[in-house]
Amino acid sequence: MSASASFPSQSPLPEPEAEAPAALDVAGAATSSPDVVLDVRGLKTYFYTYDGVVRALDGVNLKIRRGETLGLVGETGCGKSVTAFSITRLIPDPPGRIMEGRVLLRGSDLLWGLDKEARFKEVGKTGRYKIRRSYRRIQEAQRRMMAVRGSLISTIFQEPMLALNPVFRVWDQIGESLTLHRLPPTIDAMLAASTAAPELPEAVDRLVDAALHKDLPRIRAVSKEIGQLTGLPSLATEMFYAVRNPNLVGTEAIGREVQRCLRRVPLSGLQRSYLQRRRRIAELDQTLRRIYMTEMKEGKPDRRGRGFARARRRAVELGSLGYRLPGIRRHVKRPLDSELFWQAVGLLESVSIASPAQVASSYPHELSGGMLQRVMIAMALASDPEILIADEPTTALDVTIQAQILELMRALKSRVGTAILLITHDLGVIAEVADRVSVMYAGRMIETAPVRELFANPLHPYTQGLLASIPRVDDPNKKLESIPGSVPNLISPPPGCRFHPRCPHAMPICKEQVPPTTVEAPSHTVACFLYHGVEDRN
Amino acid sequence: MASSNGEGSALPARGRRPNPRLDQMKRTWYLLRKNTLAMIGVGLLVFFAVLFVASFFYHASATTMTQYCGTYYSGYQFYPTSVCQNPICTYPPGSLPPVANCYLTDPNNPSFVAPTFSLSPFHLGPLPFGSLSTDPGAPVFYNMFDGIVKGSEWSITISVAIVAVGASVGLLLGATAGVSGGLVDEAIMRTTDIFLSVPQLLLVLVLIIVLEPVSIFSSLSGRVAVLIIGFSITWWPFYTRIVRSQVVVVREQKYVEAARASGAGTGRILRKHIIPNSLFPVFVQIALDVGSIPLIIGAIIFLGVQVWPTPVFPEWGSLAGASVSSQIVGDLFLGGVTYYPWWQLFFPGITLFLFAISVNFFSDGLRDALDPRLRR
Amino acid sequence: MQLWVYVVRRLLLLIPILIGVLTILFGIISALPLTDRIAAELGTGHGGRPITPQIPCTNTTASAPIPSVSSNTSLTTPASTSALCTNPDWQPALDKLGFNLPIPVQWAIYVYNGLTFNWGHTAPGSFMSNLIGEEGKSLPVTTVLSWYLPFTIQLALLSLLFILVLSIPLGNYSAVFRNRPLDQGTRIMSFSGYALASFLLASLVLIAAVELLGGATATVCGSSVFNLVYGSWPFQLSTCYPVTSYPWVGTHVFAPTSPTGFPIVDSLIHGQWSLALSVFSRLILPALSIAYLSVAGILRYVRNSMLEVMNQDYIRTARAKGVPESSVIRKHAGRNSLTVTVAVLGLTFAAFIGGFPVIEEVFGLDGIGKVLIWSILPNYDYGMIFGTTILFTIIVVVANVMVDVIQAYLDPRIRLG
Repeated sequence: MSASASFPSQSPLPEPEAEAPAALDVAGAATSSPDVVLDVRGLKTYFYTYDGVVRALDGVNLKIRRGETLGLVGETGCGKSVTAFSITRLIPDPPGRIMEGRVLLRGSDLLWGLDKEARFKEVGKTGRYKIRRSYRRIQEAQRRMMAVRGSLISTIFQEPMLALNPVFRVWDQIGESLTLHRLPPTIDAMLAASTAAPELPEAVDRLVDAALHKDLPRIRAVSKEIGQLTGLPSLATEMFYAVRNPNLVGTEAIGREVQRCLRRVPLSGLQRSYLQRRRRIAELDQTLRRIYMTEMKEGKPDRRGRGFARARRRAVELGSLGYRLPGIRRHVKRPLDSELFWQAVGLLESVSIASPAQVASSYPHELSGGMLQRVMIAMALASDPEILIADEPTTALDVTIQAQILELMRALKSRVGTAILLITHDLGVIAEVADRVSVMYAGRMIETAPVRELFANPLHPYTQGLLASIPRVDDPNKKLESIPGSVPNLISPPPGCRFHPRCPHAMPICKEQVPPTTVEAPSHTVACFLYHGVEDRN
Repeated sequence: MASSNGEGSALPARGRRPNPRLDQMKRTWYLLRKNTLAMIGVGLLVFFAVLFVASFFYHASATTMTQYCGTYYSGYQFYPTSVCQNPICTYPPGSLPPVANCYLTDPNNPSFVAPTFSLSPFHLGPLPFGSLSTDPGAPVFYNMFDGIVKGSEWSITISVAIVAVGASVGLLLGATAGVSGGLVDEAIMRTTDIFLSVPQLLLVLVLIIVLEPVSIFSSLSGRVAVLIIGFSITWWPFYTRIVRSQVVVVREQKYVEAARASGAGTGRILRKHIIPNSLFPVFVQIALDVGSIPLIIGAIIFLGVQVWPTPVFPEWGSLAGASVSSQIVGDLFLGGVTYYPWWQLFFPGITLFLFAISVNFFSDGLRDALDPRLRR
Repeated sequence: MQLWVYVVRRLLLLIPILIGVLTILFGIISALPLTDRIAAELGTGHGGRPITPQIPCTNTTASAPIPSVSSNTSLTTPASTSALCTNPDWQPALDKLGFNLPIPVQWAIYVYNGLTFNWGHTAPGSFMSNLIGEEGKSLPVTTVLSWYLPFTIQLALLSLLFILVLSIPLGNYSAVFRNRPLDQGTRIMSFSGYALASFLLASLVLIAAVELLGGATATVCGSSVFNLVYGSWPFQLSTCYPVTSYPWVGTHVFAPTSPTGFPIVDSLIHGQWSLALSVFSRLILPALSIAYLSVAGILRYVRNSMLEVMNQDYIRTARAKGVPESSVIRKHAGRNSLTVTVAVLGLTFAAFIGGFPVIEEVFGLDGIGKVLIWSILPNYDYGMIFGTTILFTIIVVVANVMVDVIQAYLDPRIRLG
């Protein structure tokens, strides 16, 4: 049940630090202001490898407000991705371990129960430690995370070519997101849909007419109307693409096509019962999720609630085993698959993909990087999450595609209003999309400010160095500046302020103590001994 | 410090040049040591190596012995049941069914009376009859311990020889295929596919059967040669495939490109870069194969093919195979288990098992230690 | 490309491989002394060795008996035209059989015969013909093989089922629970399966089964316990299965079952449930033995491929989407590592099928392995030996094609090539 490992070098436990720990309320609950969606406090993640303990994150603090885009900048290896993955606990637990910290989302601490999952025991007096992990608790923690992943926090990753499963088609993968998080409303719509509306036949005629005249705006408007009339919005998408098929010539052909689409609406009894079962299971899943969130909020396990929910779910699942028989399975799954397909197409439309039906039925290896990144964005937004974590979304793409994706992200920002945690090493991307910026160095957050403020008035020497090193087109005589030295080894980082070996303004105190985070200007904080503002107790 | 070669050497004047290969081997050894099973394998292998060396100095002795009497069953198997009360027994050869209190005689040589067996602690059980061989070329052994010790000589030698030949041929062809590419590559790989389509056991069987009547192959060394040839023909495709896939990976590496750019010829690249870096999976496979060859020889003997000049030969697989011929399994159930010479199956079987296990543990540990994907 | 296009392309590759194998056999055959095989082929005396090397030259007018031999060269007769003293009356037959032709032509004839299933005839008087009860006659090799093939196929299918059921879950979960007890356990299983010789394992399994069922002397329903697990057919129809006659079943003297040739299927067709069940039960132990031996080799590959898959980015994406861990393993990872599993199955198929003779021998089952073993008893039946070898090879090649097709179905990226 537990594993032990023994490590060669220093103490793996967090050092007692000079910095005051992140301030917490007596009640332990979030005291952040109500429009803060995500509040990360004192996050420490270490990796235990054969070469030593990598202190990837050593006390990271973050706050994201509703609807804002927070950029997380830093060099490669400074811990940006680790921060993102620690938030949703995607850190692989044999080498990695989240040591301590709180991640508050809607009042629930996602890292609740951390201390009970592993025990550190000193081996003799060698300074080595053995870790005993309780795999059971770790597994429970991962199950809790399923309440959050995908539904409240979605993530998109760096290399879209590798991040999608090569054996499933695109619509299948987007459909998986929809199935996990949006199934009850989808099924409700499907069950309630009907072709009985009296205005329908006339609308169909209008659609056919519009299609004959290739009047795109009208086609779209009328198909949307039909979608509303039947109660199935995905029909709008389907018809829009169906009637635009150039092979259809003549009123009759188009009319038949429209009728074919409409045939998807009525459901047989078997299909209805299957969908009702699926809906029941999805509801129970949502109940489980709510229970998990409550557990994390109140800080105590609710085994009974969980047990009941799981048992009920298992019962319903057992009851629906009959639907797996070969002939029946295809029949009952077909309407749901079509619905998911067209919803996926709709989502792909919303991320500006041309010919989305084509893309939806392709395999990932048949598509280009830029296209796949849009697919990933569509997939992430399918469940309408509160936060979107974007881990270097444009790094693997070339510049022109990058520009398109950034444009897309800006549009989505204004349209959907999701909070975004944008991780990148490219300051240009930050400038385009972010509202506020946090700069990370060697596992610590060293400066945070609104975007313009940071570019106009960088306080930390590292930030100054970063900005100075951007080559400028308008000053051809300027030498290319760079920050001397290289990124520290996170196994044995420099004591005190981790930047001090490379800092042009280093002082003796920088070697000894970790600089506290101080507020220098409204919502501009920095961690440097050069500044003496009020300590940031948040 | 000035260097003497006039080129401006980049080597430090003192101290060793860091040798990455040595470091890798040290690291591999460190990882191997942490793996308990692999260390068990290494220990057993050391034991077998010692056994192998000892076997060359070992002489079976048939000194103070006690005569056994028992039943004569199924051809040449003799199952002793007790120590003889009468020191002399006779048994007319050729008569069945089994009669108690028979003698031990050599059906090929009716005037021969077998020596009796010593009761020394390393007895391990009386031998199968045919090992008192009259073939001048075949080695003589008297009891199962002799059989095992002498067997190590034969088993290990033959396995190593087969694997050496197979691996060399495979290495050569695989490297050629990997480096040449194009038509040569295709041709070699298609040939490999063809050979891999014929089941191993069958190919070896057919070869042995076909080569038997050829007269140069009827002496002991001839038989050994037939075995080695037969197995090598079956085995080289595996190595070719492994080597080729490794070579294809290595040849795309940057250091090969760099070497070529600085003017190295194909031979030099092959020798210094490609082959050394492709060898590791081959070592793993060699270790595995050495363990499984005696098992296959046993299977062939089990099926009744006369691989050796005598019916019973001290080679682990042969001993095991001869002891469990299908007739015996049937006889077991007709006559019951009481007359079964279990030691003839058990000791060779255990030796085979331990040998195969030891190489398997070792090669498995080696593979895990060398695999970069397992994220140590 | 489309799946079916890939299938067709793959099937076309079958032919060159078969030609290659036939070439190899041609080469091997050329090493056989001429006389042995003339005699074996024409069926004089006993098949195969030992035979006196000199075939006396006689001037008899009576022609040597040439039993039903097809007019084309069979799989056992390429040779040189070296002049041994043979019966001059055999000369026309020898010419017809192509002994005088140059080697490339002989090769072509040989390959052609091989591909058209013209594999010669059994040697009357060999042990092989005793087995099938046709001492005096010489049957076409293909006929005899077609009688026994269904038995082997039954066993192969059952073994494959056991292999898949054992190796895939064990391998996958060994990877997921790396270095935990399950992983160590499967490691031991894989080592022991590898280190035990096939005949040892099979014999021990048989002995253990008989002992567990009550010992060598116990009886069930009037027949010995041994007969419950040994043999192809219920030789002693006991009081448990009170049936009087099976006209469509060959028992001692072999005859194929009708109508399909597959014993289990035929039993079911004829409504003999108990017979079908007894045949099936005799297949379980051999199939388990084969599976255990094969799983040893496959398990490591399944585990390693699963490990590799679990480290891929798309697994992280699936988790980030909120897919429950069991679904991640089953659906996302499982599907991807299945490709490698199937590939390994294809690679080890040759070894898998090569173990059949031993297992069939130990458990007394009918099948082409048994046929092979009887043909290699002294008085070899070369026609049968080579015919069986070719048949085994065809099975391996066809299996490889199927494996490739399944791989292409599972992983759409393969269809690109």
